[in-house]
Amino acid sequence: MSPEIFNEVCGIAADVFAVDSKTLHSGSSPEQVEAWDSVQHLNLVLALEGRYGIQFEPEEMEGMKNLGQIATLVSTKIA
Amino acid sequence: MAIEIRPFSAEWRAALREFNGRLDAAGVFAGMRLPEDVQAEMLPGSQLYIAVEEGAVRAGFVLRPQQFSIRGAVHRVTHYRLPLSEGLIQKRYATLAPMMLRSAIKVEPLLYALGMGGRQQPLPRMLEAMGWSVTSVPFFFRVVHPARFLRGIRAARSSPWRAAAMDLAAWTGAGWMALKTWQAMHTQHLPEPARSKEVEEFSAWADGIWEATHRSYGMTAVRDSATLGRLYPSSHPRFNRLQAGAGWAVILDTAMHDDPYFGNLRVGTIADCLASLDDARTVIHAARVELEHRGVDLIISNQGHIAWQSALRADGFLEGPSNFLLGASPALAKLAGPISEAHINRGDGDGPVHL
Repeated sequence: MSPEIFNEVCGIAADVFAVDSKTLHSGSSPEQVEAWDSVQHLNLVLALEGRYGIQFEPEEMEGMKNLGQIATLVSTKIA
Repeated sequence: MAIEIRPFSAEWRAALREFNGRLDAAGVFAGMRLPEDVQAEMLPGSQLYIAVEEGAVRAGFVLRPQQFSIRGAVHRVTHYRLPLSEGLIQKRYATLAPMMLRSAIKVEPLLYALGMGGRQQPLPRMLEAMGWSVTSVPFFFRVVHPARFLRGIRAARSSPWRAAAMDLAAWTGAGWMALKTWQAMHTQHLPEPARSKEVEEFSAWADGIWEATHRSYGMTAVRDSATLGRLYPSSHPRFNRLQAGAGWAVILDTAMHDDPYFGNLRVGTIADCLASLDDARTVIHAARVELEHRGVDLIISNQGHIAWQSALRADGFLEGPSNFLLGASPALAKLAGPISEAHINRGDGDGPVHL
Protein backbone atom coordinates (compact mmCIF):
# COMPACT_ATOMS: atom_id res chain seq x y z
CA MET A 1 0.00 0.00 0.00
CA SER A 2 1.43 3.38 -1.00
CA PRO A 3 1.42 6.23 1.52
CA GLU A 4 -0.36 8.37 -1.08
CA ILE A 5 -3.25 5.92 -1.33
CA PHE A 6 -3.44 5.55 2.44
CA ASN A 7 -3.52 9.32 2.93
CA GLU A 8 -6.18 9.70 0.30
CA VAL A 9 -8.31 6.94 1.86
CA CYS A 10 -7.91 8.64 5.25
CA GLY A 11 -9.03 11.93 3.74
CA ILE A 12 -12.13 10.34 2.21
CA ALA A 13 -12.91 8.55 5.49
CA ALA A 14 -12.47 11.81 7.42
CA ASP A 15 -14.96 13.51 5.10
CA VAL A 16 -17.48 10.67 5.43
CA PHE A 17 -17.18 10.43 9.21
CA ALA A 18 -16.88 14.22 9.64
CA VAL A 19 -13.70 13.93 11.73
CA ASP A 20 -10.21 15.45 11.51
CA SER A 21 -8.09 13.22 9.26
CA LYS A 22 -5.21 13.59 11.72
CA THR A 23 -7.19 11.52 14.22
CA LEU A 24 -7.30 8.57 11.82
CA HIS A 25 -4.62 5.92 11.42
CA SER A 26 -4.28 2.50 9.82
CA GLY A 27 -5.85 0.77 12.81
CA SER A 28 -8.91 3.05 12.90
CA SER A 29 -12.02 0.89 12.89
CA PRO A 30 -15.73 1.14 13.69
CA GLU A 31 -14.96 0.44 17.36
CA GLN A 32 -12.71 3.49 17.58
CA VAL A 33 -14.50 6.01 15.37
CA GLU A 34 -17.83 6.94 16.87
CA ALA A 35 -19.46 7.98 13.59
CA TRP A 36 -18.41 4.76 11.82
CA ASP A 37 -21.68 2.83 11.85
CA SER A 38 -23.20 0.57 9.20
CA VAL A 39 -24.63 3.48 7.18
CA GLN A 40 -21.36 5.42 7.24
CA HIS A 41 -19.43 2.29 6.35
CA LEU A 42 -21.56 1.98 3.23
CA ASN A 43 -21.03 5.67 2.49
CA LEU A 44 -17.27 5.12 2.78
CA VAL A 45 -17.43 2.14 0.42
CA LEU A 46 -19.46 4.13 -2.11
CA ALA A 47 -17.16 7.16 -1.82
CA LEU A 48 -14.09 5.00 -2.48
CA GLU A 49 -15.78 3.29 -5.42
CA GLY A 50 -16.67 6.67 -6.87
CA ARG A 51 -13.18 8.09 -6.36
CA TYR A 52 -11.30 5.15 -7.87
CA GLY A 53 -13.83 3.83 -10.37
CA ILE A 54 -13.90 0.40 -8.74
CA GLN A 55 -16.56 -1.85 -7.25
CA PHE A 56 -16.05 -3.98 -4.18
CA GLU A 57 -17.45 -7.49 -4.21
CA PRO A 58 -19.24 -8.66 -1.02
CA GLU A 59 -16.36 -11.05 -0.30
CA GLU A 60 -13.89 -8.17 -0.52
CA MET A 61 -15.99 -6.01 1.78
CA GLU A 62 -15.46 -8.64 4.47
CA GLY A 63 -11.84 -7.54 4.68
CA MET A 64 -12.59 -3.85 5.28
CA LYS A 65 -12.27 -3.89 9.05
CA ASN A 66 -9.95 -0.91 9.48
CA LEU A 67 -8.49 1.87 7.38
CA GLY A 68 -5.22 0.01 6.80
CA GLN A 69 -7.04 -2.99 5.36
CA ILE A 70 -9.26 -0.74 3.29
CA ALA A 71 -6.31 1.17 1.82
CA THR A 72 -4.54 -2.10 1.02
CA LEU A 73 -7.64 -3.40 -0.75
CA VAL A 74 -7.98 -0.17 -2.75
CA SER A 75 -4.29 -0.38 -3.75
CA THR A 76 -4.76 -3.97 -4.92
CA LYS A 77 -7.83 -3.14 -6.97
CA ILE A 78 -6.36 -0.13 -8.77
CA ALA A 79 -2.98 -1.77 -9.40
CA MET B 1 -11.08 -13.99 11.22
CA ALA B 2 -12.78 -14.24 7.85
CA ILE B 3 -16.54 -13.84 7.71
CA GLU B 4 -18.42 -15.79 5.08
CA ILE B 5 -22.03 -15.40 3.96
CA ARG B 6 -23.66 -18.75 3.25
CA PRO B 7 -27.12 -20.33 3.05
CA PHE B 8 -28.29 -21.54 6.44
CA SER B 9 -28.15 -25.29 7.05
CA ALA B 10 -29.07 -27.43 10.02
CA GLU B 11 -25.56 -27.67 11.47
CA TRP B 12 -25.71 -23.92 12.18
CA ARG B 13 -28.91 -24.15 14.24
CA ALA B 14 -27.17 -24.00 17.62
CA ALA B 15 -25.00 -21.06 16.52
CA LEU B 16 -28.11 -19.30 15.22
CA ARG B 17 -29.81 -19.74 18.59
CA GLU B 18 -26.75 -18.28 20.28
CA PHE B 19 -26.86 -15.30 17.92
CA ASN B 20 -30.53 -14.70 18.72
CA GLY B 21 -29.72 -15.16 22.40
CA ARG B 22 -27.06 -12.44 22.24
CA LEU B 23 -29.63 -10.06 20.73
CA ASP B 24 -32.07 -11.06 23.50
CA ALA B 25 -29.49 -10.40 26.19
CA ALA B 26 -28.71 -6.99 24.72
CA GLY B 27 -32.40 -6.04 24.75
CA VAL B 28 -32.81 -5.79 20.97
CA PHE B 29 -36.52 -5.56 20.03
CA ALA B 30 -37.99 -9.08 20.27
CA GLY B 31 -39.49 -8.99 16.76
CA MET B 32 -35.98 -8.90 15.34
CA ARG B 33 -34.69 -12.46 15.40
CA LEU B 34 -33.49 -14.69 12.61
CA PRO B 35 -35.95 -17.56 12.04
CA GLU B 36 -34.75 -21.06 12.83
CA ASP B 37 -37.26 -22.62 10.45
CA VAL B 38 -37.58 -20.27 7.51
CA GLN B 39 -39.71 -22.61 5.39
CA ALA B 40 -42.32 -23.04 8.09
CA GLU B 41 -43.17 -19.37 8.40
CA MET B 42 -42.81 -18.04 4.89
CA LEU B 43 -43.62 -18.74 1.27
CA PRO B 44 -41.91 -21.73 -0.36
CA GLY B 45 -38.43 -20.94 -1.63
CA SER B 46 -37.54 -18.58 1.22
CA GLN B 47 -33.89 -18.88 2.19
CA LEU B 48 -32.06 -17.70 5.27
CA TYR B 49 -28.46 -16.58 4.70
CA ILE B 50 -26.06 -16.27 7.59
CA ALA B 51 -22.72 -14.53 8.04
CA VAL B 52 -20.45 -16.90 9.94
CA GLU B 53 -17.16 -16.35 11.70
CA GLU B 54 -15.26 -19.24 13.23
CA GLY B 55 -18.34 -21.25 14.20
CA ALA B 56 -20.42 -18.23 15.26
CA VAL B 57 -23.31 -16.61 13.43
CA ARG B 58 -22.73 -12.86 13.30
CA ALA B 59 -25.51 -11.74 10.96
CA GLY B 60 -28.17 -12.95 8.57
CA PHE B 61 -31.02 -12.09 6.27
CA VAL B 62 -33.89 -13.83 4.52
CA LEU B 63 -34.55 -13.80 0.79
CA ARG B 64 -38.20 -14.52 0.11
CA PRO B 65 -38.91 -14.82 -3.62
CA GLN B 66 -42.40 -14.27 -4.97
CA GLN B 67 -43.95 -14.09 -8.39
CA PHE B 68 -44.89 -10.55 -9.39
CA SER B 69 -46.83 -9.33 -12.38
CA ILE B 70 -44.95 -6.34 -13.77
CA ARG B 71 -46.64 -4.63 -16.70
CA GLY B 72 -48.44 -7.90 -17.38
CA ALA B 73 -45.38 -10.17 -17.42
CA VAL B 74 -44.53 -12.45 -14.49
CA HIS B 75 -41.12 -11.95 -12.85
CA ARG B 76 -39.42 -13.41 -9.82
CA VAL B 77 -39.10 -10.57 -7.30
CA THR B 78 -37.53 -11.10 -3.90
CA HIS B 79 -38.21 -9.60 -0.51
CA TYR B 80 -35.04 -8.66 1.40
CA ARG B 81 -36.23 -9.48 4.87
CA LEU B 82 -34.92 -9.17 8.42
CA PRO B 83 -31.35 -8.10 7.79
CA LEU B 84 -29.85 -8.39 11.26
CA SER B 85 -26.27 -8.17 12.38
CA GLU B 86 -24.33 -8.23 15.58
CA GLY B 87 -23.40 -4.68 14.61
CA LEU B 88 -26.52 -3.75 16.59
CA ILE B 89 -24.68 -4.62 19.76
CA GLN B 90 -20.97 -4.74 18.81
CA LYS B 91 -19.63 -1.95 16.63
CA ARG B 92 -16.89 -4.05 15.11
CA TYR B 93 -19.58 -5.83 13.11
CA ALA B 94 -21.00 -2.59 11.70
CA THR B 95 -19.36 -3.47 8.38
CA LEU B 96 -21.62 -6.50 7.89
CA ALA B 97 -24.86 -4.74 6.91
CA PRO B 98 -23.53 -3.26 3.63
CA MET B 99 -21.84 -6.59 2.86
CA MET B 100 -25.11 -8.47 3.31
CA LEU B 101 -26.99 -6.02 1.12
CA ARG B 102 -24.44 -6.37 -1.67
CA SER B 103 -24.59 -10.17 -1.35
CA ALA B 104 -28.38 -10.17 -1.54
CA ILE B 105 -28.57 -8.02 -4.63
CA LYS B 106 -25.94 -10.17 -6.30
CA VAL B 107 -28.13 -13.25 -5.76
CA GLU B 108 -31.45 -11.56 -6.55
CA PRO B 109 -31.20 -8.31 -8.56
CA LEU B 110 -34.98 -7.73 -8.50
CA LEU B 111 -35.05 -7.05 -4.79
CA TYR B 112 -37.35 -5.06 -2.53
CA ALA B 113 -37.64 -4.17 1.13
CA LEU B 114 -40.89 -3.16 2.80
CA GLY B 115 -41.89 -1.54 6.07
CA MET B 116 -38.55 -0.63 7.65
CA GLY B 117 -40.00 1.67 10.33
CA GLY B 118 -39.34 5.05 8.71
CA ARG B 119 -36.67 6.91 6.77
CA GLN B 120 -34.50 7.58 9.81
CA GLN B 121 -33.74 3.87 10.18
CA PRO B 122 -30.37 2.50 8.97
CA LEU B 123 -31.75 0.18 6.28
CA PRO B 124 -33.64 2.76 4.21
CA ARG B 125 -30.70 5.15 4.54
CA MET B 126 -28.39 2.47 3.17
CA LEU B 127 -30.80 1.61 0.37
CA GLU B 128 -31.02 5.25 -0.69
CA ALA B 129 -27.24 5.56 -0.63
CA MET B 130 -27.05 2.55 -2.95
CA GLY B 131 -29.39 4.15 -5.45
CA TRP B 132 -32.55 2.28 -4.51
CA SER B 133 -35.91 3.95 -4.95
CA VAL B 134 -37.32 4.42 -1.44
CA THR B 135 -40.87 5.76 -1.17
CA SER B 136 -43.50 5.70 1.54
CA VAL B 137 -46.67 3.71 0.99
CA PRO B 138 -49.40 6.20 1.99
CA PHE B 139 -51.30 5.56 5.22
CA PHE B 140 -55.01 6.26 5.58
CA PHE B 141 -57.35 6.11 8.54
CA ARG B 142 -61.04 6.62 9.28
CA VAL B 143 -62.29 7.12 12.82
CA VAL B 144 -65.37 5.12 13.79
CA HIS B 145 -65.60 5.97 17.50
CA PRO B 146 -64.15 9.46 17.93
CA ALA B 147 -64.19 9.61 21.75
CA ARG B 148 -62.39 6.27 22.12
CA PHE B 149 -60.00 7.27 19.32
CA LEU B 150 -59.14 10.62 20.93
CA ARG B 151 -58.55 9.00 24.32
CA GLY B 152 -56.63 6.01 22.99
CA ILE B 153 -54.50 6.99 19.99
CA ARG B 154 -51.01 7.05 21.50
CA ALA B 155 -49.29 8.11 18.27
CA ALA B 156 -51.08 11.48 18.44
CA ARG B 157 -51.08 11.92 22.25
CA SER B 158 -47.39 12.74 22.13
CA SER B 159 -47.26 15.40 24.87
CA PRO B 160 -49.24 16.08 28.06
CA TRP B 161 -50.79 19.18 26.45
CA ARG B 162 -51.90 17.30 23.33
CA ALA B 163 -53.26 14.46 25.42
CA ALA B 164 -55.19 16.93 27.59
CA ALA B 165 -56.60 18.70 24.53
CA MET B 166 -57.68 15.37 23.03
CA ASP B 167 -59.29 14.33 26.34
CA LEU B 168 -61.17 17.64 26.40
CA ALA B 169 -62.31 17.18 22.78
CA ALA B 170 -63.53 13.70 23.66
CA TRP B 171 -65.30 14.83 26.86
CA THR B 172 -67.09 17.83 25.33
CA GLY B 173 -68.10 16.04 22.14
CA ALA B 174 -66.25 18.61 20.03
CA GLY B 175 -63.94 15.88 18.71
CA TRP B 176 -66.89 13.70 17.80
CA MET B 177 -68.52 16.59 15.96
CA ALA B 178 -65.35 17.63 14.10
CA LEU B 179 -64.32 14.12 12.98
CA LYS B 180 -67.80 12.97 12.02
CA THR B 181 -68.49 16.19 10.13
CA TRP B 182 -65.20 16.07 8.26
CA GLN B 183 -65.65 12.42 7.35
CA ALA B 184 -69.26 12.94 6.26
CA MET B 185 -68.30 15.90 4.10
CA HIS B 186 -65.53 13.95 2.40
CA THR B 187 -67.41 10.71 1.85
CA GLN B 188 -68.74 10.57 -1.67
CA HIS B 189 -72.07 8.86 -2.07
CA LEU B 190 -71.81 5.42 -3.67
CA PRO B 191 -74.92 5.03 -5.86
CA GLU B 192 -75.05 1.25 -5.74
CA PRO B 193 -72.98 -0.38 -3.03
CA ALA B 194 -72.00 -3.84 -4.21
CA ARG B 195 -73.11 -6.97 -2.45
CA SER B 196 -70.45 -8.33 -0.20
CA LYS B 197 -70.07 -11.52 1.76
CA GLU B 198 -67.48 -13.10 3.97
CA VAL B 199 -65.94 -16.22 2.44
CA GLU B 200 -64.02 -19.07 4.01
CA GLU B 201 -61.30 -19.30 1.39
CA PHE B 202 -59.98 -18.01 -1.89
CA SER B 203 -60.93 -20.34 -4.72
CA ALA B 204 -61.66 -20.19 -8.44
CA TRP B 205 -63.55 -16.90 -8.10
CA ALA B 206 -60.33 -15.24 -6.87
CA ASP B 207 -58.44 -16.60 -9.89
CA GLY B 208 -61.01 -14.93 -12.12
CA ILE B 209 -60.43 -11.59 -10.40
CA TRP B 210 -56.68 -12.02 -10.65
CA GLU B 211 -56.79 -12.81 -14.37
CA ALA B 212 -59.14 -9.93 -15.09
CA THR B 213 -57.23 -7.28 -13.17
CA HIS B 214 -53.48 -7.83 -12.82
CA ARG B 215 -52.56 -6.29 -16.17
CA SER B 216 -54.04 -2.97 -15.10
CA TYR B 217 -51.38 -2.59 -12.39
CA GLY B 218 -47.81 -1.51 -13.09
CA MET B 219 -46.62 -4.02 -10.52
CA THR B 220 -48.40 -6.38 -8.15
CA ALA B 221 -47.45 -9.57 -6.34
CA VAL B 222 -49.34 -12.54 -7.74
CA ARG B 223 -52.65 -12.78 -5.91
CA ASP B 224 -54.17 -15.93 -7.35
CA SER B 225 -56.11 -18.36 -5.17
CA ALA B 226 -53.13 -20.65 -4.53
CA THR B 227 -50.93 -17.79 -3.32
CA LEU B 228 -53.72 -16.23 -1.27
CA GLY B 229 -54.43 -19.59 0.33
CA ARG B 230 -50.84 -19.67 1.60
CA LEU B 231 -50.80 -16.02 2.71
CA TYR B 232 -54.22 -16.10 4.37
CA PRO B 233 -54.90 -19.72 5.30
CA SER B 234 -58.49 -20.49 6.23
CA SER B 235 -57.17 -22.11 9.41
CA HIS B 236 -55.98 -18.70 10.62
CA PRO B 237 -58.76 -16.93 12.56
CA ARG B 238 -57.29 -13.43 12.16
CA PHE B 239 -57.93 -13.17 8.43
CA ASN B 240 -61.44 -12.22 7.31
CA ARG B 241 -61.93 -12.61 3.57
CA LEU B 242 -64.53 -10.35 2.05
CA GLN B 243 -65.82 -10.84 -1.48
CA ALA B 244 -67.26 -7.54 -2.71
CA GLY B 245 -68.56 -7.06 -6.23
CA ALA B 246 -65.79 -7.97 -8.65
CA GLY B 247 -63.11 -7.73 -6.01
CA TRP B 248 -62.05 -8.83 -2.54
CA ALA B 249 -60.41 -7.58 0.63
CA VAL B 250 -58.67 -9.20 3.58
CA ILE B 251 -59.64 -7.36 6.73
CA LEU B 252 -58.38 -7.68 10.29
CA ASP B 253 -60.20 -6.78 13.48
CA THR B 254 -57.58 -6.48 16.20
CA ALA B 255 -57.95 -5.49 19.83
CA MET B 256 -54.60 -3.81 20.48
CA HIS B 257 -52.90 -4.17 23.84
CA ASP B 258 -50.53 -1.43 24.95
CA ASP B 259 -49.50 -0.77 21.35
CA PRO B 260 -47.06 2.15 20.96
CA TYR B 261 -49.21 3.68 18.20
CA PHE B 262 -52.74 2.47 18.90
CA GLY B 263 -52.74 1.88 22.67
CA ASN B 264 -55.70 -0.36 23.49
CA LEU B 265 -57.90 0.63 20.57
CA ARG B 266 -59.79 -1.90 18.50
CA VAL B 267 -58.25 -1.42 15.08
CA GLY B 268 -59.75 -2.56 11.79
CA THR B 269 -57.29 -2.98 8.94
CA ILE B 270 -57.93 -3.25 5.23
CA ALA B 271 -54.76 -5.28 4.86
CA ASP B 272 -55.01 -6.53 1.31
CA CYS B 273 -57.40 -6.19 -1.60
CA LEU B 274 -57.75 -6.63 -5.32
CA ALA B 275 -60.20 -5.45 -7.96
CA SER B 276 -60.13 -3.61 -11.23
CA LEU B 277 -59.10 0.02 -10.77
CA ASP B 278 -62.71 1.09 -11.34
CA ASP B 279 -64.00 -1.27 -8.64
CA ALA B 280 -61.53 -0.24 -5.92
CA ARG B 281 -64.06 2.13 -4.36
CA THR B 282 -66.67 -0.63 -4.14
CA VAL B 283 -64.27 -2.91 -2.27
CA ILE B 284 -63.06 -0.19 0.12
CA HIS B 285 -66.64 0.79 0.91
CA ALA B 286 -67.68 -2.81 1.60
CA ALA B 287 -64.63 -3.40 3.81
CA ARG B 288 -65.23 -0.19 5.73
CA VAL B 289 -68.91 -0.98 6.33
CA GLU B 290 -68.07 -4.50 7.48
CA LEU B 291 -65.43 -3.26 9.93
CA GLU B 292 -67.78 -0.58 11.29
CA HIS B 293 -70.43 -3.25 11.76
CA ARG B 294 -67.94 -5.30 13.77
CA GLY B 295 -67.43 -2.37 16.14
CA VAL B 296 -63.84 -1.28 15.56
CA ASP B 297 -62.72 2.13 16.82
CA LEU B 298 -60.53 3.00 13.87
CA ILE B 299 -59.96 1.67 10.35
CA ILE B 300 -56.54 1.89 8.72
CA SER B 301 -54.96 0.96 5.40
CA ASN B 302 -51.70 1.46 3.54
CA GLN B 303 -52.08 1.56 -0.23
CA GLY B 304 -49.46 2.30 -2.88
CA HIS B 305 -51.62 2.47 -6.00
CA ILE B 306 -53.24 5.80 -6.74
CA ALA B 307 -56.62 4.20 -7.57
CA TRP B 308 -56.83 2.60 -4.11
CA GLN B 309 -55.73 5.87 -2.49
CA SER B 310 -58.50 7.69 -4.37
CA ALA B 311 -60.97 5.04 -3.26
CA LEU B 312 -59.98 5.54 0.39
CA ARG B 313 -60.28 9.33 0.13
CA ALA B 314 -63.67 9.03 -1.55
CA ASP B 315 -64.79 6.86 1.35
CA GLY B 316 -63.92 9.54 3.89
CA PHE B 317 -60.48 8.30 4.94
CA LEU B 318 -57.86 10.81 6.06
CA GLU B 319 -54.20 10.50 5.10
CA GLY B 320 -51.69 10.37 7.95
CA PRO B 321 -47.91 10.12 8.17
CA SER B 322 -46.56 6.82 6.88
CA ASN B 323 -43.47 5.00 8.10
CA PHE B 324 -44.27 2.03 5.85
CA LEU B 325 -41.64 2.27 3.13
CA LEU B 326 -41.06 0.46 -0.12
CA GLY B 327 -37.45 0.15 -1.22
CA ALA B 328 -36.95 -1.12 -4.76
CA SER B 329 -33.52 -2.08 -6.09
CA PRO B 330 -32.37 -0.11 -9.14
CA ALA B 331 -33.19 -3.03 -11.46
CA LEU B 332 -36.66 -3.46 -9.96
CA ALA B 333 -37.43 0.27 -9.93
CA LYS B 334 -36.47 0.53 -13.59
CA LEU B 335 -38.69 -2.41 -14.51
CA ALA B 336 -41.68 -1.48 -12.35
CA GLY B 337 -42.04 2.25 -12.94
CA PRO B 338 -43.66 4.64 -10.44
CA ILE B 339 -44.97 3.36 -7.11
CA SER B 340 -48.28 5.14 -7.75
CA GLU B 341 -48.95 2.38 -10.30
CA ALA B 342 -47.76 -0.44 -8.02
CA HIS B 343 -50.31 -2.35 -5.96
CA ILE B 344 -48.46 -2.52 -2.65
CA ASN B 345 -50.12 -2.79 0.72
CA ARG B 346 -49.89 -4.57 4.08
CA GLY B 347 -50.47 -7.88 2.35
CA ASP B 348 -47.00 -7.64 0.81
CA GLY B 349 -43.64 -8.32 2.37
CA ASP B 350 -44.05 -9.84 5.82
CA GLY B 351 -47.83 -9.59 5.58
CA PRO B 352 -49.94 -7.92 8.27
CA VAL B 353 -47.80 -9.24 11.14
CA HIS B 354 -47.87 -6.14 13.33
CA LEU B 355 -51.58 -5.42 12.94
